[in-house]
Amino acid sequence: MVSTVTNTDVKQKDVDQAVVVAVTFAAVFEPETEDGSSIYRLGVALPLVQVLQRVNERLLEKNPAEHQLFDVILITTESWQQQQNSSIINSTRHHGLEVGRFCFSTEEDYIESLMQNNVQLFLTTDGNEALQATQQGVPSALLDTNWVSCPSEQLRVLFCEKAIFQLNMGSTEASKKSAQNFLAHLGQMKQKFGVFDSPLCFTLVTSHGGKDNCCCALKSLRSLGVSVDEAYCLGGAPRGPILSLLRPHFLLSDGFSLLEG
Amino acid sequence: MVKMSLDAVQVMSGQVKELKVSPSSNGDARGSWEGKEEFDPSQLELTAKPKPPKPENAVTVAVSSRVLFRTEREQKVFEQKGVEEYLRYQIEHENEPFAPGPAFPFVKALEAVNIRLRELYPQSEELFDIVLVTYNHAHVGIRLINTINHHNLFIERFCMTGGSSPIGYLKAWQTNLYLSADAEKVREALAEGIAAATMFMTEKLTEVSQSQLRVAFDGDAVLFSDESERIFKTHGLDKFFEHEKENEDTLLDHGPLKGFLEALGKLQKKFYAKGQRLDCPIRTYLVTARSAASSGIRALKTLRAWGLEIDEAMFLAGAPKGPMLEKIRPHIYFDDQMFHVEGAAEMGTVAAHVPYGIAQKYNSQQKMSSGK
Repeated sequence: MVSTVTNTDVKQKDVDQAVVVAVTFAAVFEPETEDGSSIYRLGVALPLVQVLQRVNERLLEKNPAEHQLFDVILITTESWQQQQNSSIINSTRHHGLEVGRFCFSTEEDYIESLMQNNVQLFLTTDGNEALQATQQGVPSALLDTNWVSCPSEQLRVLFCEKAIFQLNMGSTEASKKSAQNFLAHLGQMKQKFGVFDSPLCFTLVTSHGGKDNCCCALKSLRSLGVSVDEAYCLGGAPRGPILSLLRPHFLLSDGFSLLEG
Repeated sequence: MVKMSLDAVQVMSGQVKELKVSPSSNGDARGSWEGKEEFDPSQLELTAKPKPPKPENAVTVAVSSRVLFRTEREQKVFEQKGVEEYLRYQIEHENEPFAPGPAFPFVKALEAVNIRLRELYPQSEELFDIVLVTYNHAHVGIRLINTINHHNLFIERFCMTGGSSPIGYLKAWQTNLYLSADAEKVREALAEGIAAATMFMTEKLTEVSQSQLRVAFDGDAVLFSDESERIFKTHGLDKFFEHEKENEDTLLDHGPLKGFLEALGKLQKKFYAKGQRLDCPIRTYLVTARSAASSGIRALKTLRAWGLEIDEAMFLAGAPKGPMLEKIRPHIYFDDQMFHVEGAAEMGTVAAHVPYGIAQKYNSQQKMSSGK
C-alpha cells in the first residue's frame, strides 16, 4: 500500500505547474544508517538534488512568483525501505534536503505511485526500475555513479541515443508524449535565462549516423523549445571519453531521438 | 526564442551501422507528434558514404569553424551586439552557407588524399579524419552542418563546446593537428603537447593544387626546438653559427610540429609501397632561414636521424620566405614568427603561426595585425 507524506520543512510547490522529479531512496541515501543513529548517509544523488534546488533558487531570483519549479519527491521501491519511513523522513530533514514529499511504495506499486504523483522524470540507479517505468510511460533516467560525483552550479542534461538501454526497446506512444512534455518544461525553464550564466546546460551527443542525424536531432529538440548549448557528433567514435569530460547529471533519450534503439 | 517552422525529419532504422532505409518504413505511426514528416531522400545515400575511421588509427586534424569558413560578419555582430544577438543572427541566416576560410583548401586537399588512400587500401583506417572543433554554441550547429553539406565536405565529427575549452576534446579525439583563429586556444593546445597553429584570413590567396597536398614547415621552433633560435636572439648571428658548427653532430630537440610531419610521412610511405612515389599526393617542404652550407647541416642530420623524409628543403640563408613559398604554393605553411607569417600572407600563401618558443617574446613587441 502506498502512502504519501508531505515534508513540512519544505514549501510545497504548485500542483499544476511544478515539474515533478522523483528520485529513489537508493539514489539519495546509502543503505546503512550512520553508526548508532537512524540517520541515513547521503548517496550518489546528492549533487543532483542540490543542483535541482539551485535551479529553483535561480528561477525564484528571476521571478519570486515563479511556479514552474522542480518538485523533488523521494520514492521507495522496495518493501524494506517502505518500512523505514520515519527514518527516511528524519534523515531527509536532518540533511536539509529540499524534498517536497515522500512516496512509500514497494517493488509492486512504485510505478503506480509515480503515475499518481504526476511524476515527469523518474531518476534511479537501478536499470530495471528505469526500464519498467519507461515502458509504463514515465520518462526515466539512470543515474550513473561515475559522473554525478561533483557538485555543480549548473544542471547538466545530456541528450543522446540509447541513454539507458542497449536493446531496441521501442518506446510506447505514451512514453514518447510524456518525454516530450518533460523536455518542453526543461526548454521553458531554460528560456528564462540568457546564454551565459544559466543554471541549465543542455548537451546533445550523437554517436551514430553522422552530421545529418545530429542536425535532425538539433532541429527536433528546437521544435520542442529546447535550445541545446553543446553538441558533439561522434561519427562512430566511442562516447566514453567524451562523456567523462561532459559529466552530465543524467541522460535522456526519449521524445526526440531519431535512430531509436 | 526564435520560432522556426521546421518540420522534424524522422528516419527510422533497424540497425545502426548500415542505414538501409526503404521509403516505406518511414512515417512509422509512432512518430506522429510533430505534424507532417518530411522524408529526405539524401538520407538513403548513407550506405554509400564511407565510415569515419577510429580516432586512434587516423591522422586527426581538428579545425575551428572560424578558420574553415569565413565568419567575419558574424564575429562583428558578436563583438558589437553581444552573444544573444549573434546567436539570433546565426539562426536567421541558418540556410546561408558560410564562404570558405583559410583552412578550406587544406581540408579539401586532405580529402583528396583520402580518396587516393581508399583506392589503394580500401580496408585501411589510416586516413585523415577531419573534425570540426569549435567553442561556438550549438545554435550555430545547424548553419555549420548546412555549410559542410553545401561545400560537400566529408566531416562527420564535430564538437561544439558552447564556450568551454575544447582542449579536453582534442585529447579525447587524439588530435594530431589543431587549427584555430584563437591564439590563446592554440597556446593551450601546444602546452598539452598537441600540434597546433593559429590561422588568419588573408585577402590574397594564390591558387593551390587540387590533387597534391603540400605542407611547408619552418625549421626552428616548429619542427625542431627553439634552442638555436634562443642563441640567435640573445647572442646574435655569429654566435648562432658558432653554436651550430660545434653541435653539428648533436641532434636538435623536437618541436611541436614534428609529430605531424611524422604522420604525413607514414601516409606517404603507403603510396611508396604501391609504387606511387612519383605520383604521391602528399609533398612536404622545409623552408628555413638556415643556410645549406653551414647551419642547415644540423637540421638535415636531425631529420635523417629521426627517420623523417622531407621532400624538398629550402635553405634561404636569411632571404625572405615569401617568394619561395609563392613558388611552392603549399596549402599551409607553419612558422613560429609572425613576421614570416605575414610576409607569406602578403604573397598569397596560407600561413599558420605556431606560438612556440623564444620568438613569441619578440612577436608581442611587434605590432601585429591579427586578422580573424
